[in-house]
Amino acid sequence: MSFRSNLRIDPSNPLLTIWLAVILLISGLFGCDSVGDRFESNRIFAKRWELTESIDLREPLADSEVVLTEFFGSPDEPKWPKFLNVGEGKLVSLQNLQRAAGAFSSGEQGEHKGLFREHCVVCHGVNGNGRGPSSALLTPYPRDFRLGKIKFKSTPIGHKPTKDDLKQILHRGIAGTSMPSFSTLDPEDIEALVEYVIYLSIRGELERKLIRDAAIELDLEGGERLYDLDSKEKYPEEFADVRGRIKGWAVDLQESWFEAEDKIVDVVGPPEGFPLVGNGDDPEAIAVSVANGKKLFQGTTASCAFCHGSEAKGDGQTHNYDEWTREWTVMAGLNPKDKKSLAPMFELGALKPTNIFPRNLTMGVFHGGSSPEELYTRIVNGIEGTGMPAAPLRPANSQGLTNEEVWDLVNYLRSFLPAEEQSLVSQETKSDSCSEEDASK
Amino acid sequence: MSASEELAFSPTSVKAAYASGVHRLAVALTVSVFPLIWVGGLVTTYDAGMAVPDWPGTYGENMFAYQAWLFGPFDLMVEHGHRLLGSLSGLLCVGLVVAAYLRDERSWFRKWSVFVLAAVIAQGILGGVRVLLDERTAAMIHGCTGPLFFAIATATAVMSSRWWFERNRKHLSDHENESGAVGQYATGRFIALTASVLAVTSYCQLIVGAQLRHTTGAVSPNEFKGFVHLHLGLAALVFLVALVLTVSVVAASRTPKQVRRVSLLLAIMVLCQIGLGIGTWLVNYALPWAELNATLAAYTIAAKGYWESMVVTAHQATGSLIISLATVTSMRAWRSRASLGN
Repeated sequence: MSFRSNLRIDPSNPLLTIWLAVILLISGLFGCDSVGDRFESNRIFAKRWELTESIDLREPLADSEVVLTEFFGSPDEPKWPKFLNVGEGKLVSLQNLQRAAGAFSSGEQGEHKGLFREHCVVCHGVNGNGRGPSSALLTPYPRDFRLGKIKFKSTPIGHKPTKDDLKQILHRGIAGTSMPSFSTLDPEDIEALVEYVIYLSIRGELERKLIRDAAIELDLEGGERLYDLDSKEKYPEEFADVRGRIKGWAVDLQESWFEAEDKIVDVVGPPEGFPLVGNGDDPEAIAVSVANGKKLFQGTTASCAFCHGSEAKGDGQTHNYDEWTREWTVMAGLNPKDKKSLAPMFELGALKPTNIFPRNLTMGVFHGGSSPEELYTRIVNGIEGTGMPAAPLRPANSQGLTNEEVWDLVNYLRSFLPAEEQSLVSQETKSDSCSEEDASK
Repeated sequence: MSASEELAFSPTSVKAAYASGVHRLAVALTVSVFPLIWVGGLVTTYDAGMAVPDWPGTYGENMFAYQAWLFGPFDLMVEHGHRLLGSLSGLLCVGLVVAAYLRDERSWFRKWSVFVLAAVIAQGILGGVRVLLDERTAAMIHGCTGPLFFAIATATAVMSSRWWFERNRKHLSDHENESGAVGQYATGRFIALTASVLAVTSYCQLIVGAQLRHTTGAVSPNEFKGFVHLHLGLAALVFLVALVLTVSVVAASRTPKQVRRVSLLLAIMVLCQIGLGIGTWLVNYALPWAELNATLAAYTIAAKGYWESMVVTAHQATGSLIISLATVTSMRAWRSRASLGN
């Protein structure tokens, strides 16, 4: 700030000197708050490959940091590579990254900067690894964006969420968890945060690709390097090849985010006259649909009861782990229950593995939203990274659920909602109908 | 004790030494610091510490002439409001020094009033340093020294009060001889000691709480977890010490009402603070066993929501209030104990 630079601290002031000494002392005791110089490397992912491939990945990890810094900058000064801003428009704008990155502050007009550190870092961590300061005490653990997987979205498992999916999560929050609703934020701030999450996700996925490539493809013992800046002048063609290959991966990752819009699974509405809970339809018809939904819930086709329990209380199997945990335990050949074998991972900051508990649906609280359309989407898409699969559907699967059966399941789930939250008839419609009744009288 | 101090404490000088103006200023100072701490807490809650990026001016203007804060964004209002309230406390400190030198005969109290003024200036500079360096650790230290100044202001109010003078040893003896109540009211050493321990423990608890409140991405999950466990452990200790103090005060019928009342208020505040602490965790991070209860399961935290912010800020402000009340209890307890020559 220009006027800040006009203010100089007078070192001859003894009082000021004493206080500065106190600050330095306590900073030394508790650590400085500088987190913006560099992103921490994904050492846990590297360790996984070191264990399975019996190799040393320290050098490739350092190389990956060089290339990632070159492409994506630092937490204080993020970059968005120019080669990603071609073709289908901008997925991420540098302006939004700069708005979300860095130390937080707010201006005279109320505009905020450093949004990610202001709102997200304490849980999700500086590099979005889901290991922010508070993470170890939260249930469930905050999401690690570096896997590129988001649970609640309008696209099927294996595909990226849309920007609107991310905005929806930020706007609504997730009830009963530490994920707050940011509904009071300006839409521009939400947009900036969404783009920053995508930025961290692409950066994190590219890092994983680099590490995996180094572990599997490179002849590390023969001295092959993942990314060697020294070879830029000695072997310019080879260096250009390597750089081009890495750029290609980044482009592919961006492409997967662009594709999300085309992968949205449309909600196929219920057949004409189908009763819906909260729609003011015939109570008997709804009761029949809810009973059908319960049967399907307990049956083998939808197989919901296997995890959620026959009465939907979340008391089915509880031994599973989510993919964020499995990737550094089971995938590394480690038993998540064996603390001794996990010790090297804990040393690198891994959080104690916890089982993923199926939800108690009778609470009437649905993390991905409770509208019929949202529940329909959860059933037919499943939930990414968890044990919740997509339900088999007809006609693609001859043994799967019909569209009507999916809506029976939706009705069954919505029957757990508190009465005041079930209604699908808006107040406006109600008042309109009242006025009509009054008029007819 | 010097000759002049002896004089100040002599029975004949007691009534002359009490200066109501000094005491009123000290009370006004204490009263002004509590909202200052509240608004300072709001600054942290709303991450508004850098809403005004310069200091001591505001956006290049004289801070007292700056008017946009009243109509600007909330961040700006709380940060600038905090600075103005701080200035008010500073002016009261200046008034206190002047009044002490004019009206208070105790030389040590005059020096103390200068120390109070120095402390408020230092606290203001520290706030400025936090802004100029844009350093979160400096903000944390500023947040820790604020309650310390509140305790200093409280102690000043206690030491300038009429009761403080009337508890002078000889005067008390005379007074109680007249009323035939010698030895009827006195605070036991254990109570005085317990109150002091409570003040110190509460302050340590506040420092640990500040670590949690000013957490940055540089803190590891294990460090944060350690601070949470330490905060919980100290909360248990504060509760235990407060319980012992309350039981002791209730059981000791000779405890003066000036000690008894404050210690009971202190106990109530400690209970409130435990509730606010649970609430603070709930509105920041949710409870880990949310699904045991339908209301908790359905609760969505609103980032910087009104109630969320009020609960968190109230937790921080009540922590300061507890330190202040413990300081009053402790000082009165030692004073009333000493007055009987124990």
